[in-house]
Amino acid sequence: MSEVYKWVCRVSTAVGIFAAGLMFVAILVVCHMVFVRAVLNESSIWQTEFVTFALIAATFLGAPYILLTRGHVNVDLLPILLGESGRRRLAWLATLLSFGFCMVLFYSSVHWWWEAWELGLTTPSIWRARLWIPYLSLPVGLGLLCLQYAVDMWALAKGLSSPFAPIVTNDSVPQESAA
Amino acid sequence: MNPLIIGAFIFALTLVLLATGMPIAFALGITALFFMVLNDGWMAITFLPETLFSGLDDFTLASIPMFIIMGAAVASSRAGSDLYEALSRWLYKVPGSLVISNIGACALFSALTGSSPATCAAIGKMGIPEMRRRGYDADLATGAIAAGGTLGILIPPSVTMILYGIASETSIGALFIAGILPGLLLTSLFIAWALFLSWKRGNTQVFAGQSYTLAQRLELMPKLLPLMLVVVGVIYSLYGGIATPSEAAGVGAALCLAMVVVIYRMWTVKDLWHIFRDALRESGMLLMIIGMSVLFSYAMSSSLVTQSVATAIAEMDVNRWVMLGAVNVFLLVLGCFLPPAAIILMTTPIILPVITAAGFDPIWFGVMLTINMELGLITPPVGLNLFVINGITPDVKLTTILRGAFPFMMCMVLAIVLLCFFPGIATWLPSVLMG
Repeated sequence: MSEVYKWVCRVSTAVGIFAAGLMFVAILVVCHMVFVRAVLNESSIWQTEFVTFALIAATFLGAPYILLTRGHVNVDLLPILLGESGRRRLAWLATLLSFGFCMVLFYSSVHWWWEAWELGLTTPSIWRARLWIPYLSLPVGLGLLCLQYAVDMWALAKGLSSPFAPIVTNDSVPQESAA
Repeated sequence: MNPLIIGAFIFALTLVLLATGMPIAFALGITALFFMVLNDGWMAITFLPETLFSGLDDFTLASIPMFIIMGAAVASSRAGSDLYEALSRWLYKVPGSLVISNIGACALFSALTGSSPATCAAIGKMGIPEMRRRGYDADLATGAIAAGGTLGILIPPSVTMILYGIASETSIGALFIAGILPGLLLTSLFIAWALFLSWKRGNTQVFAGQSYTLAQRLELMPKLLPLMLVVVGVIYSLYGGIATPSEAAGVGAALCLAMVVVIYRMWTVKDLWHIFRDALRESGMLLMIIGMSVLFSYAMSSSLVTQSVATAIAEMDVNRWVMLGAVNVFLLVLGCFLPPAAIILMTTPIILPVITAAGFDPIWFGVMLTINMELGLITPPVGLNLFVINGITPDVKLTTILRGAFPFMMCMVLAIVLLCFFPGIATWLPSVLMG
C-alpha cells in the first residue's frame, strides 16, 4: 500500500504539472487572440472557447495536487480548538464527507462525459469543438481526487499524516496556502 | 416548506459542514447536493456536472487565473524588496519615512499582485525586520504590514473585485477604478496613524546619518517601472474599453512573466514551476469554490430561498442606513470565518437586490464590501494576514500583532463611515472616466 500511496501522490503531482502547463498555454492563446483581433483585424474563432476549456480543465486536473498540498482553503477554527483525538475524529468526518461527495460527482461526470462521447456533442460555435474533450477533465480530475482522498485516509489511519496537516512525499513539497 | 425555513436549514448545514474543516468548495457542494436531491429527487445528481461545467464556462472568469498568474510572477521575484528599497531611498529624509515606505510599498505592491497575503509576505519579509532593527515596537511594525497587506484586494487589479463584478454583473473596469481613491484614502489613514504612533513613541529620526545620491535613488527604477507600466496599461485598457478583463489580464500576465524572466532572470524550470504552482493552487481553489457556489446558488434559487430572503428583508421596512449597517456587521462576522471569495459568491445574490432596491450604488457597495473583506483578513480567528505575519516573525506573539493591527482596523471602519457620508470617494472617479 505504501507504494500505491507514493504513486498516487506522484500521479497527482504529474497531473498538477500538466494543469499548470494548460494555464501557460491559455496565456499564450489569449495573447494570440488579442493579436488576431487588434493587429490583424480578424475575428477570433476558437480562442475564447479554448481558453475557457483549458482553465476549467486546469481546475479539475489540478484539484488532486491542490488537495495533496492542502491548497483547498478551509475553516480550521474548530480543528485548532480541539485536542488531538477530537481533531483526528473531525479529520475523518471531513475527509469521508468530501470523499463521498467527490465520488458522487465522479460517478455522474462519467455518465455525462459518456453521453457527450456517444452523441458526438459539439459546441454551437463556428469552431464546433467536440465536447467530450473538455468534459473529460471532470471524470479524470475527480477520479484522481477520489484516489488522493483514499490515500489521504490511508495515511491518516497509518499515522503518516497528522489531521489537517499536509502529506509530505519526496515529489511534492507542501506549500502554505496563499489564498 | 416555507423557503425561509429552507434557507435557515441551508445556512445551518453550510455552517456545520464548514466547521468540520473540510474544503469550503466541497462544503458548498454537499449542501447544494443535499437540497437539490430534496427538491428534485435523486435525478438531481445527473445535473451536477452540467451545472458545474456551465457555471465555469464563462470567458470573463478567465481573468481570475490570469490576474493570479500576473501576481504570482511578481510575488515570486524580488520586486517586493526592490520596491521597498526604492521607496526607502527616496523618502529617507521624511520623518517616519520607514513606516511610509512600508505602507507605501504595500499599496504599490498590491497594484502589482492583487493579493493580500502575497503583499504581506513580500513587504513584511523586508520591512518588519528593518523596522524592528531601527527600534520600532513589534506591534506597530507587524500591525502596519498586516493592515497594509489588506490593500491588495482594494487597489486594482483585485481578484476580489472581479468576483464581485461577476456575481453582481457590474463592470469590472468600473469597480477597479472605484477602488483607487478609497485605496489611497486607506493608505493615507494607515500612514497617518503609523506616523502619529511612531512620533508619539519617538521613532521619527530613524534615518539619521544616512544619505543616498540621486544615482542610488534611481538605481532600482529600471526594474520597477516596467512592471508598474504593465499594471497601468492593464487598468487603462479596461476602463478605456479597449480590452475585456480576460484579454487585459492575459496580456498583462504574459508581460509580467516576460519581465520577471528578463529583469529578475527567473528563467529556470524551477522558477517557472514555482510561479505556475502557486498560481494553480490559488486559481484552482478559487475556481472550484466558484463552481460549487454555482451549484449552491442553483439550490438556493430553485428552493426560492434567494427570492424569499430578499423580499423578507425588503418588507422589513427599516431605515436604509440601519439595513446597510446590519449588512456590514453581517459581512464583518462572516469575514472573521470565511475567505472573501466564499462570502462574495454566497451572499451577493441575496444582498445585492436588497442594496440596490434601497437605492445604493452597486459599484459603491462593491468597494464597501471589499473593505469589509479587508477587515476580515486581519480579524481573528481566521485572519489570514495575521498568520502570514506570524510566519515571518515567529518570535512576535499573535496577540502583539493583533494589538498592533487593531488601530488599523479602526482606520478601515473610519473609511467605511467616510464612504457612507461621501459616496463620491468611490463613485466620482468611475463616473468621470467612464461616464
